[in-house]
Amino acid sequence: MPLPGKRRAVPGVQPSRATVRGQPGLRPAPGGGRGAGKQARAAATSNELWLAIHLPHYVLESLRRRTAAAQPVAGHDPGTATAVVDLEGGGKVVCAGDAAAVAAGVTRGMALNSALALLPGLHVLARDVQAERALLEAVATRAIGFTPRVVLEPPDAVLLEVRGSLRLFGGVRRFIAQVRERLQSLGLAPLLALTPTPLASLWFARMGEEVALRSRDGLASRLARLPLACARWPEQRLEPLAAMGVRTIGDCLKLPRDGFARRFAPQMLRALDRATGCAPDPRVAFVPRQRYSGRRDLEPEISDTERLGRAAGPLVDELCSFLDLRCCGVDVLDFSLLHRDVPPTRVCLRFAEPTAQAGRIAELLRERLARTELPGPVRALRLRSGPLVAANQQAGDLFARARGRSTSVPQLVERLRARLGTDAVYGIQVVPEHRPESAWEKGDILLFHGPTRAADGKGECPLFPRPLWLLAEPQPLDGGEHPHYEGRLEFEEGPERIESGWWDGRDVRRDYYVARTAGGMRLWVFRERRAEGRWFLHGVFG
Amino acid sequence: MSSIDDLLRHPGLWRAREQGGATSQPAGRSTGYAALDRCLPGGGWPAQGLIEILTDRHGVGELGLLMPALAALSHEDHGEGWLAWVAPPYQPYAPALVACGIDVRRLLLVRAQPAEWAMEQALRSGACSAVLGWAEFRDRQGLRRLQLAAEQSRCMAVLFRRLADGNEPSPAVLRIALESSRKGLVVHIVKSRGGQAATVQLGWLDPAAHAVAH
Repeated sequence: MPLPGKRRAVPGVQPSRATVRGQPGLRPAPGGGRGAGKQARAAATSNELWLAIHLPHYVLESLRRRTAAAQPVAGHDPGTATAVVDLEGGGKVVCAGDAAAVAAGVTRGMALNSALALLPGLHVLARDVQAERALLEAVATRAIGFTPRVVLEPPDAVLLEVRGSLRLFGGVRRFIAQVRERLQSLGLAPLLALTPTPLASLWFARMGEEVALRSRDGLASRLARLPLACARWPEQRLEPLAAMGVRTIGDCLKLPRDGFARRFAPQMLRALDRATGCAPDPRVAFVPRQRYSGRRDLEPEISDTERLGRAAGPLVDELCSFLDLRCCGVDVLDFSLLHRDVPPTRVCLRFAEPTAQAGRIAELLRERLARTELPGPVRALRLRSGPLVAANQQAGDLFARARGRSTSVPQLVERLRARLGTDAVYGIQVVPEHRPESAWEKGDILLFHGPTRAADGKGECPLFPRPLWLLAEPQPLDGGEHPHYEGRLEFEEGPERIESGWWDGRDVRRDYYVARTAGGMRLWVFRERRAEGRWFLHGVFG
Repeated sequence: MSSIDDLLRHPGLWRAREQGGATSQPAGRSTGYAALDRCLPGGGWPAQGLIEILTDRHGVGELGLLMPALAALSHEDHGEGWLAWVAPPYQPYAPALVACGIDVRRLLLVRAQPAEWAMEQALRSGACSAVLGWAEFRDRQGLRRLQLAAEQSRCMAVLFRRLADGNEPSPAVLRIALESSRKGLVVHIVKSRGGQAATVQLGWLDPAAHAVAH
């Protein structure tokens, strides 16, 4: 196949070794050579529409979100110009600035000293890559509400496949408006672009061209006008292209494919194919994290637990909307109160049943905070959830009001435990065992809740009387052969001989009697069947 | 649909008749001891409001007195109602409770000092059908709150206090003092709303004997 004239721009290329043969330019002709036809078919099967959310100010926005303290920082009014430096890179170079800083001439890549010379009152913040990632995930998590297919495009963009959602949200224009509104409510200033391919959407959004192209027909021609910077190719690749006079995507598309692939990176060619929709562009969908983790910096620091409880409100709200999206609840929450010099105070909330109710969480947190001693003022709050548990959140008891049961037992247990401690609330059950002290055991009250435990215990009634109160430890009685307790004891029943437990080291050999005191108390006493034969009080018939 | 009967059963509704003779009293819960039932308005433990049991010792039959009613409650309400024991002086012994006919799975034990808060929570939660508490009330305010909570719930609320506390006024609906004699338990009804003070000889209680009914 004859090579076109432009082939000369790439000298020294063997045409027979071209990876993609027989195409006049990068843009595949419809119904052209074999390769082009294949690509066109592959692309035609996909019927996608991608919305790109590009966050041009993500560095600042991520920091602002973390310190979203609502109240202005002390000694710093919001009008002051702000710049961010990257501490990883020595902290000498400005990597982002807000509108006020940019207006004063502070630019990206400027030395911090120069920026401070321009603006002596410049407020300088340290960059936080983790916060940037968290911001992107937060945006993606919100985007899940619009479409199930969301893709992260680090560091500053999120892609949404929206074809299936357009009708629900009332068309392209309304859809985009709603996405924008949602993001602006988070305090973000996004750039949105919608095209049939993810890469094209991304490139448009990066360049600030907020297009909405539904079909692929005009895509290539619209893309052609974009400068090459939109693709974020490495600098050493862009330089030779610039030297060749190639400045836009359109210029690139006119170059011969084989030579372009060999002279530059094959990835660049693939990117162009994907952007124009000639090659499939598989993406790994974003899966929202299955645990919540949030952080809030407090400025000024708080040492009052009551105010701390209020300051945690937004975190709890965020957690609950996170849970709502997944139709899940949590039963364990971990609050960390970060101090300046001492290790963080941890407050672990345990719920009796999975919950996603902000009110209930906040109430429990207040209760726990009121009991917590702070070693110093708190400068930040961190909230981490335990694993999410599927919860039927709104499924209350339909007839609860009729029966006058307003709170469920788990809720009561959890409220009591929050103040009194986990061990202070428990249930008991019968154990089939002869030794009286082993014939019962404590248990978690919530495990008894519900009809799962079959052991009713009706058939296990002891043949001999048992006292309603049992002493924790048998109490020795005075009086030798005739035991005394508030006077001499009179025996009513007995003896009942209990000999058991030689196998586990807690051997018991006793004769039990029911005895009555002079004052009218009925006691359960026993005599050791050992050498001394001492008497003990073991229970009281209440 | 709520009928007039439902409305009349509302715990917040107070009827003028209730102050009258024992016959018009809303039905109480049978104590399980006929002699005692006869002396109580409504023929049993009051359905609402605080019951105070005054005793200086444990083991005179103060629990045995309640056992038949508790056993009935633990099986009522499709097993929904729980029996909360707040700050008991000793460990309640599960085999003995089973022998009295109580479903021990419904028992909620709370170690709390002071007991007031936990008792009030249990009463207000509506999750319990009976709340037993052992507490020493120093302030009348707390007692009043407890009585209010007991009045508004449909729960049997029992507070154990010392005999000496009987000299102080109390908002409780029923106050009984326990005395043990040679012949067995003697129950003095000190105060009974809608009833009269009385003294009942109960003899030696055998709560397990009542368990057969359940």
